[in-house]
Amino acid sequence: MPASGADSLKPSAFIPVCTAACLLVGSTSLFFVFTCPWLAVTICPAVPPCCAILFLFVLANFTMATFMDAGVLPMASEDEDKDDEFRAPLYKNVDVKGVQVRMKWCASCHFYRPPRCSHCSVCDHCVEDFDHHCPWVNNCIGRRNYRYFFLFLLSLTFHMIGVFSFGLIYVLHHMDDLWKLHCTVTLVVISISGLFLIPVLGLTGFHFYLVSRGRTTNEQVTGKFQGGVNPFTRGCCNNLEYLVCSPISPKYTARPCKKTVIHIQPPFLRPETDRQTPVKARDNGIQSRDLQNKRPSTGAVELSDIKQQKTPPPLPPKPDHSLLKSQVAAMDEMGHHTKSIIPVSIPTVPQLRPVLEAISRGSSPIPPEQLLKTSEQQGNTRGPDLRSESRESPVSHQAGLPVQPLLQAGAASSSLQLNSLTLNSRSLTLKHSGRHGSKSHLSAVHADGLGSNPPPGIISSSSLLANHSSSSSSLPYDNLINPADPQFISQRGAPSVSYHPHFMSLGTDGAVQRPPAHTYSPVFMGVSRHSPQPRDLSPSLQGLTSRDPSPSFQGFIQRDSSPAFQGLMPRDLATQSVSSRDVPPPGVVMRDLTSQSLRDSLRDLVPQELTPPKSAAARYDNFSKTIMASLHERRELEERERMLRLQARSQALYGPDMGIYDIPSRRSLPPDNIRPAGSRGPTPPAYGSREFLMSTGILGYGMRTSPLSSSSTSSLTRGPKTSSSPLQSGSSSSLQSKGRSSSPAYCPPERQTQGLPSSTSTLPRLFPSNASTTSPYTSYATTKRSSLLYSSEGKDSVTLGALK
Amino acid sequence: MATEFHNLQELRHSASLVTKVFIQRDYSEGTVCRFQTKFPSELDNRIERTLLEETVKTLNSYYAEAEKIGGQSYLEGCLACATAYIIFLCMETRYEKVLRKISGYIQEQNEKIYAPRGLLITDPIERGMRVLEISLFEDRGSGGSSPSSSMSSGSSAR
Repeated sequence: MPASGADSLKPSAFIPVCTAACLLVGSTSLFFVFTCPWLAVTICPAVPPCCAILFLFVLANFTMATFMDAGVLPMASEDEDKDDEFRAPLYKNVDVKGVQVRMKWCASCHFYRPPRCSHCSVCDHCVEDFDHHCPWVNNCIGRRNYRYFFLFLLSLTFHMIGVFSFGLIYVLHHMDDLWKLHCTVTLVVISISGLFLIPVLGLTGFHFYLVSRGRTTNEQVTGKFQGGVNPFTRGCCNNLEYLVCSPISPKYTARPCKKTVIHIQPPFLRPETDRQTPVKARDNGIQSRDLQNKRPSTGAVELSDIKQQKTPPPLPPKPDHSLLKSQVAAMDEMGHHTKSIIPVSIPTVPQLRPVLEAISRGSSPIPPEQLLKTSEQQGNTRGPDLRSESRESPVSHQAGLPVQPLLQAGAASSSLQLNSLTLNSRSLTLKHSGRHGSKSHLSAVHADGLGSNPPPGIISSSSLLANHSSSSSSLPYDNLINPADPQFISQRGAPSVSYHPHFMSLGTDGAVQRPPAHTYSPVFMGVSRHSPQPRDLSPSLQGLTSRDPSPSFQGFIQRDSSPAFQGLMPRDLATQSVSSRDVPPPGVVMRDLTSQSLRDSLRDLVPQELTPPKSAAARYDNFSKTIMASLHERRELEERERMLRLQARSQALYGPDMGIYDIPSRRSLPPDNIRPAGSRGPTPPAYGSREFLMSTGILGYGMRTSPLSSSSTSSLTRGPKTSSSPLQSGSSSSLQSKGRSSSPAYCPPERQTQGLPSSTSTLPRLFPSNASTTSPYTSYATTKRSSLLYSSEGKDSVTLGALK
Repeated sequence: MATEFHNLQELRHSASLVTKVFIQRDYSEGTVCRFQTKFPSELDNRIERTLLEETVKTLNSYYAEAEKIGGQSYLEGCLACATAYIIFLCMETRYEKVLRKISGYIQEQNEKIYAPRGLLITDPIERGMRVLEISLFEDRGSGGSSPSSSMSSGSSAR
């Protein structure tokens, strides 16, 4: 049996094949020993030899079907993969005898699967003319061994019929001494053969039907050519002929490699230069110059040509560039921190840590200057992330700041960089996500949409990107001050590629460094080439630019946004908030708001696309397994804790009768205290979750009977309600509406929240514990986990709100 | 003399792999092995179209011959059945024979036509018969990648 693709040979995989072999060999041997002598004597001496030959044939075919390579296609080399990176739709259409057949990109093997080829998940390789994976032979059945499999079935059927019938004859002739050894054994043999004859006969008939129709089991089961024309059939007779008589195709893997060395020595011949070379040799001056004019430098020419072909289509023209410049200028103006043109990326936890520490250092509000300084330091050392963050802080001072035009200005300008970033990162992403067998192909989709789009598409996608990139940092701000410009929100689903810049040391020089693959994997979860289950789209181009971003993708992106970042942003903004000088509470509330709104959007998006969180989870294949395990564990833990706290909270509020869990500190709080119970600092260490505090805070709001709280409650309910339907309809403007409705509504209660600053002290506890390693990947995973927690918490808080 | 010595050194240029061009399979006839005869644009100034097309056409004919269902393949099948497939241990199938022929042909083509042009064809069997890979090499000589160096070497060698 060929070893499975994974190195682990599961013992359980051998059980069916061993059972089959034992049954076959065992019962046949018994037949030969106990029944055949009598048969040879009574019926015909030729019976046993024929049976023996038939049995030998069965065994031979069984062995071939079991041990023969089914036509495994070796994985594509890296160079081949690179070729497809810039135009990498999930499917490629090819015309087979006039019928359009789709070739799907195999994320594991890194090539477009030839027609009729399929990837066997058991063996983890692509098989040519894949029929099925047969557990009874523990092998894939494909192009090379389908014949043996079919013949095995055929011969086995005949053999079983023979054994059964001869055994029956024997038993019928020995009815009187039925309990003699020979008779008993024969009885057993015929019962076994009779029992297994039915399914084997059925399978043989099924494959006969398949052969006559020219289909594989895979095609039959998936209904590929059910309604349409099968281009692979040659007619019933020719199909049978092909089955039996076609030459055995060669093995592709593990071939004897007899490589002879070929020396390639420059200078190289060129199509036009062949006849000019002697001239060149003769004349030193003019001709060489002419040659150079024609072919300035062969190397240079080739390289430039190749480079041109390699690089993606030229980026859209000036308007974007000017816009980018203006955005850069705007950002400079805003924060004076912009050093790179890359506007946004997810601030990783290491970057945030100083800020977090600054926050945690004082439960009292941190002066914005200090925050700015911290973030500035951080940003200067770390990257643009915090700078964009801190940039937003001063911006918040100006309520009427024309965020939109600035961001828009920056959008296109960043689009240029982002495009190249995207394209370059896409190549990396696709490669690496593919390498890691990522199952989401949306990166390819997205990348494709970005890279191979015609200029209008590029512009739109770039603006999408830019807006998203700018909006990703300014989103909380947008929600607060300028309640979500629809275009930003709507383009939230823009590819997370904008997040790449943070991880990629890359510029428009085209040189693409290669950070560890897994750095990208989370981001590219939605962006790799493998198709998630719900997606059956035509190539990416339409997928991303003309349509709403894939819900899964969008949801993923939303999930992706660092909650820490978002949580901090409004808080930071609020600390310098325009009107109210209640610095921490507004910030807290704002953060609640934004996270709330985001959670709502997340929640609403969840049904759409995260319905299989497993599809998102499937995309986590790129995550290291440990991280994922810890992620899930953490999430479950947090959920449990949250539930605990919520129940405790409800217990505290409604009385001990509802309480399930004994949480002393909860009881100490008066139930109808205007301030939410979680506002007092003690709980964070106990519960250790910012989310809990926020949820309790929200719960407090929801449960409040005070007018303020009722207004907040109503606003809470309004928020989700208003957002739910639009979000469910897939429009991202709902975020905007939600933002609008939420932000003013949350202004009053913001004063009540005082616990959240202390809750932020949990952040360092939360994150550093997980961000112990400074790798961006880990921190990214941490932020991702937080976002996951946020999403789960969001649902919960929305539910609570809805209860009102 | 110093010039000559210098030029001799320059003559020992090395080639570096720049990129690979992939000629995809042509599935218009089904799953039989055929490669597209479309000329890739990257090779526009590296090799004459006719040469490459000739190579690809010859390869296609070889593959067609290998996959032909006819007398020989039938006989082979019967023989294999009769000997319970033990014959596979001793004998080479027809397909394998043709593959050896193909490999020799590619080798010869590489030596005669492609290597002088800085190209190299990889046997498709190594890529699972999915693509025909053509590697492009570039002059990475010590004198730089400009023909001036080779020209000067050529001219000085005169």
